[in-house]
Amino acid sequence: MRNGTVFMENGQPLGEELLNIAPEQFEIIEREAKIVDADFRTESVSYGKDVLRRFLRDRVTVTAAVIILVIVAMALIGPNISPYTYLEQNREMQNMPPRIPVLENIGICDGTRVLNIKKSSMEEYGPYIKESLGETTTSSAFGTSTMYRVKVDMYAYKGIPDQYFWFGSDVLGRDIFARLWQGTRISLILALVVVAVNLSVGLIVGAICGYYGGWIDMVIQRLMDIIWNIPSLPLTILLIMLFGSGLLPLALAFCLTGWMGTANSVRMQFYRYKGREYVLASRTMGASDMRLMFRHILPNAIGTLITSCALSVPGVVFQEAGLAYLGLGIQAPNPSIGMMLSDGQKVLLDYPSQLVFPGVVIVLLMLAFNLLGNGLRDAFNPSLRQ
Amino acid sequence: MVKYVIQRLIAAFFTFLAIITVVFFVLRLMPGSVIEPSPRLDPAIYQAMMDKYHLNDPLIVQFGYAIRDYMSLDLGYSLKVNPGSPVLDIILSRLAVTVQLNYFSAFVILPFGLFLGISMAVKKDSLYDNVMSSLIILTISVPSFVLAALMQYLLGFKFGWFPLILEAEESLSWTKFYSMIMPILALSFGGIASIARTLRAELAEVLTMDFMQLAKAKGLSYGQTITRHALRNSCVPLASTFLYLFLGVLGSSLVIEQIFSVPGMSKTMMAAINGKDHWLTMGCIIFYTLIGLLMAIVADLSYGVVDPRIRMGGGKDA
Repeated sequence: MRNGTVFMENGQPLGEELLNIAPEQFEIIEREAKIVDADFRTESVSYGKDVLRRFLRDRVTVTAAVIILVIVAMALIGPNISPYTYLEQNREMQNMPPRIPVLENIGICDGTRVLNIKKSSMEEYGPYIKESLGETTTSSAFGTSTMYRVKVDMYAYKGIPDQYFWFGSDVLGRDIFARLWQGTRISLILALVVVAVNLSVGLIVGAICGYYGGWIDMVIQRLMDIIWNIPSLPLTILLIMLFGSGLLPLALAFCLTGWMGTANSVRMQFYRYKGREYVLASRTMGASDMRLMFRHILPNAIGTLITSCALSVPGVVFQEAGLAYLGLGIQAPNPSIGMMLSDGQKVLLDYPSQLVFPGVVIVLLMLAFNLLGNGLRDAFNPSLRQ
Repeated sequence: MVKYVIQRLIAAFFTFLAIITVVFFVLRLMPGSVIEPSPRLDPAIYQAMMDKYHLNDPLIVQFGYAIRDYMSLDLGYSLKVNPGSPVLDIILSRLAVTVQLNYFSAFVILPFGLFLGISMAVKKDSLYDNVMSSLIILTISVPSFVLAALMQYLLGFKFGWFPLILEAEESLSWTKFYSMIMPILALSFGGIASIARTLRAELAEVLTMDFMQLAKAKGLSYGQTITRHALRNSCVPLASTFLYLFLGVLGSSLVIEQIFSVPGMSKTMMAAINGKDHWLTMGCIIFYTLIGLLMAIVADLSYGVVDPRIRMGGGKDA
């Protein structure tokens, strides 16, 4: 408006009759065609789809996921496909070497064991010797004696040529195959319980600390400081002694300090995002605290949370095995990977295969979860988006 | 700076009190008594012993006695594991071998970890880097006790290169050191792998920053830019790890000590807990707690030394 006169776009002054149009003379102009945005030529990619695509592209991560699936499947069906149950003892068949149906024909896991035997016992073993590996002479206080190194078919020797302990049997004659997968099942259940509890407790505490801040945050942080600084190993041992050994006390001991990592990272995320404009906008529109916390702020932390869950599974398996070595694992006749390892350690020098099989499973399990965790971290990282 | 340290020390003291309280009550709530009544034990003697150690008093009174003793720096005497000797003496005598083991493994971990981390970051994405990265993931995934068992069987039993368990000698002789090699190696691999991995990630990030270009433009040689500028910036997250290597004594060595029959701290503590030797258990836990709390403070201070941009306490004069 210039000097009270209204000008049109082309600079002409607006006529008097146009300035004083009565409201009822106005008419809404409806366009014939609906206005729509042009369709995207490319497929629309959501965040989840993008993550999945990056995840599937990484061959190492997919391999790790497959290994985990196989181990989980074996933990589910393994104890049932073995001809023996995991608790069945057989005093006649202690410490049998591994024997696997197809592989035995090519000389691996063929149920033989290399023994050093005296000449006098040659007759006892005679018919079962598969291969002679020469002889050694040892001299002791009782004079020199000649020892024969021979490969003996232990299954034929024990008179059970049609039995198969796939991974061998332990000191009580229990089938290691069944025990190993039952143990894997128990270790995985433990890991699952611990991770679930740590995640939920850490999430809630971290969210409360991070969102509300102030004195609530300070009190909880001080409490966490105290729990964090108690030496964890003595505390774990004390707890297990207090509640007796078993799955639940173990889980409790692991959960006592485990949730703090999650709580801290969730708290950091909340501190970072709670002041953002979009949160403020939502709050202005009347969103409740709950909605702000779990609908608007939390999704930012999902990636890190899933990654840390995947990475904490091997930690739990590792700690359980460590405690089992100290005799603080789960209740005795039940196996866990750690129990199998510590049982194998006791007879390591005579029957190394009893440690090898659980050792391979725990290494595979930890490796697979570590690789999966790394892959997930990359997949959730938007800066690697292509 | 001084004010900050004092604040931290006061906070640590209260944390310490809280921990002592928790551990004391957990310990006393454990089933079973310190002195088991038995038919062979004269009831009068039993009563006298219970009175002497105030075990007939309510827990809270016992706690009062304990706190009073600890405040006067008296850790008491062991009752079961090593009857009659002061707890402090037991801890100090068992500490030696644990400290030796940890120090030697720290001296293995540091050079190898640093070298691997730096060389991998410098040659990022090369064949060397890829191979070493895979090896490191593998090493991290092999639990130290599986590795220890493997070495014990192969190196110790099959090849006979090293003794299977630790020599029982008191002093640090050549044979003792020789028998310590396997436990040291078993302790070292995990540390090397984790230091190398963290250092590689940090250093690789620093190397892409602008100030590295500037350093090169100033005329520094490549080696100088790495050691003077890049390394210093990438060491902040590792500062506490380095410190724990030298000052932390617990680590993962508990199981390793068990496997190689090392008469160290962890064995003492297990025996104390199993034997309900509460005074020795408390002594061990107090020891570990103190180390942990002091370590946390020293680690926080060390960030300021490594990276002068990090100031403590938020004060102007820091």
